[in-house]
Amino acid sequence: MMSEVLQYLLHPLQYEYMLRAIWVSAVVGGVCGFLSSFVTLKGWSLMGDALSHAVVPGVAVAYLLGLPLALGAFVAAILATGAMAFIRSQSRIREDATIGIVFTTFFALGLVLITAFPTGVDIKTILYGNILGIAMGDVLQVVLIAVVVMGLLLFKWRDLMLYCFDSTQVRALGLNPMVLHMILLASLAAVAVAALQAVGAILVLAMLVTPGATAYLLTDRFGKMLWISSGLGIVTSATGAYASYFVNGQTGGCIVTLQTLIFVVVFVFAPKHGLLANRRARLKTEIIVKEGVS
Amino acid sequence: MSYPEQPAKVDCAPTLSVRNVSVAYTNGHQALRDTTFALEGGTICALVGVNGSGKSTLFKSIMGFLKPNAGSISINDLPVKEILKQRLVAYVPQSEEVDWQFPVSVWDVVMMGRYGAMNFMRIARAVDKKIVEDSLKRVSMWEYRDRQIGELSGGQKKRVFLARALAQEGKVILLDEPFTGVDVSTEQAIIGLLQELKKEGCIILVSTHNLGSVPEFCDQVVLMNRTVLAYGPTAEVFTEQNLTVAFGGLLREFQFEQSTIQDHDGRKVRVFSDDERPLVFGKDGHLEYRDRTDHEDLLKRRSEQDDE
Repeated sequence: MMSEVLQYLLHPLQYEYMLRAIWVSAVVGGVCGFLSSFVTLKGWSLMGDALSHAVVPGVAVAYLLGLPLALGAFVAAILATGAMAFIRSQSRIREDATIGIVFTTFFALGLVLITAFPTGVDIKTILYGNILGIAMGDVLQVVLIAVVVMGLLLFKWRDLMLYCFDSTQVRALGLNPMVLHMILLASLAAVAVAALQAVGAILVLAMLVTPGATAYLLTDRFGKMLWISSGLGIVTSATGAYASYFVNGQTGGCIVTLQTLIFVVVFVFAPKHGLLANRRARLKTEIIVKEGVS
Repeated sequence: MSYPEQPAKVDCAPTLSVRNVSVAYTNGHQALRDTTFALEGGTICALVGVNGSGKSTLFKSIMGFLKPNAGSISINDLPVKEILKQRLVAYVPQSEEVDWQFPVSVWDVVMMGRYGAMNFMRIARAVDKKIVEDSLKRVSMWEYRDRQIGELSGGQKKRVFLARALAQEGKVILLDEPFTGVDVSTEQAIIGLLQELKKEGCIILVSTHNLGSVPEFCDQVVLMNRTVLAYGPTAEVFTEQNLTVAFGGLLREFQFEQSTIQDHDGRKVRVFSDDERPLVFGKDGHLEYRDRTDHEDLLKRRSEQDDE
C-alpha cells in the first residue's frame, strides 16, 4: 500500500519534461519572489500587471521575425512604460487610468497580431503558459534572464531598497534615482517575460506580488523579506509544477493557488502582523486601558 | 591625454548661495522667482513662510529634483550636481514623507547615510559601523537600534533621521519641519544638536512653522513668499512689520488687552502663530520673550508681583 502511494507520487519525476518544468519553474519563482519584495514595497503591483500584459505584442512580433522572444517582450515593455510616462506627463489623467489604458491597448494589439498572423505561437501558451512543453531554446532564455536579473539585484538590492524607501536620500548620496528606477523597471519587464513561460500572462502578477506580500507580513527587516519571498517563490513554483502533473498540467494555476494558500495562512497566523496577532494586541490595549480607568 | 581634475573635497566652512533662482512647474505654476540669499558656514537659518510659499520647492531645487528655469544654486561655487556627488547636503525629511511601515530598523536607516561612502555593493566597513554607532549615540537612540522604525514615538523618529544626516557627514543640513509632532524636550534636544553642528561649521537650513522658537536658536532668517521677502540676521528680519508682510492676512493674529490669561499688567500683545508655537510681540513691536527661560522668568516675576 505504502509503496503504491509512493510510486504514484514519484511517478511525475520519471519524466524528463516534468523534471525540467520543476526546476525551470523554481528558477522563475525564485527571481519573481526576490523582485516581489520591491514590487510590494514600491507599490508597483499594477505596474507589474501592466508590464506582464504589455509584453504580449512583443512576443508575437518576435515570433514573426524569428527573434528571441525575450528581446521582443523587452522592447514592448519599454515602449509601454514610455507611453505611460508620456501620457502621464502630458495630460491630467491619473496614473492608474494611464496604466489601465496603455496595458490593455498593448495586450489587445498582441491578440490581434497573433490571430492575424498565425504562426507557431499559440495564444493559449501566452495566456496560460506552457512550462511542461517548454522548448530548450526557451529554457536557455529563461535561465539567461534569471542569471542577469538576479546578478543585478544581488549587487544593487541595498540601493534599490533605499530607492523604494526614500528617493530624496538617493539624491543626497549623489546617486541617480532615475537609474535605479530604470533598473527596477527593466528587471520587472525581463522577469515578466520569464514568468510568462511558466504561468502565462494572466497569472504573472501573482508571482510578482504574492510572495513579497506574504514575506512582508512575516518580518520587519528588508534583508529577511528578500530571502523569505524568494524562498517562497522557489518552493511554491517547484511544488506547483510538480502538482500540476496530477491536474492536467495547469501549472500556472497550481503555482498561484499554492502561493495564495500560504498567503492566507500567513495573513491569519503571522506572529506579529497577522490577523490573530493584531486582534490579540488590540485586546491587550483594551484591557490596559480598562485597568487604567478602574 | 588629460584626466578630468578631481574637484577638491570641501573641508573648510561651506558657503551656500542661491542666486536669482526661478522655478516654474510644468503646469505653469511659478513656485519661486528671483530668489536670492547666501549663507556662511556655522549658521542656523530658518526658512519661514506660509504653506505654498516655495519652501519645499527650494529644498527640492537644492536636492536636484527640480531644475531652476533661471539662476543657480551652489555650495563653494560647485553646482548642484557636484554638490550631490560629493554628498555635501544631508536631508531630514518631514515625517509625513516617510513610509513608517517599511521593513527597516533604526540601524538600517542610519546606515543609509553611509551608502555613498561605501563600495558599490554597499557593504558596511568597520568605519561605517563606528560612524553609525556614534551618530545614534549622539541623538540618544543607540538603545533603539534594533527597533523597526514604525515602533518609535514622533520625537524618536525625528532623531533617527537626524542621526542619518549626521552619519552622512554633510556640510549643509536641510531640515523640513523638524518640530512637527515633537514634544518640547525633544525639540530642545534637536535644537541643542543643531547648535553643536553649527559650532562644527555646518550650514543648517530649517523650514519651520514654529515661529516662536526661531529667535531662540536661529542666527539668520529667510522670509519667503514665492521669493525672498527679507533675509539676514534674525533680529533684523524677524520683525513685526516683516512678518505681517510675509503672512499677510493668512495668519492668526490676536490682540489681548487686560482681560486675558496672565496679562495682569494690561499689556497689549500681538501673537503670530503659524500652527505651532506662537511668536509674541509687545506693544512697541519688540519680542516679548526670546526663549522659554525668559518666559518662565517673566511668569515668575509676575506671580511675585501678584503676591506682594
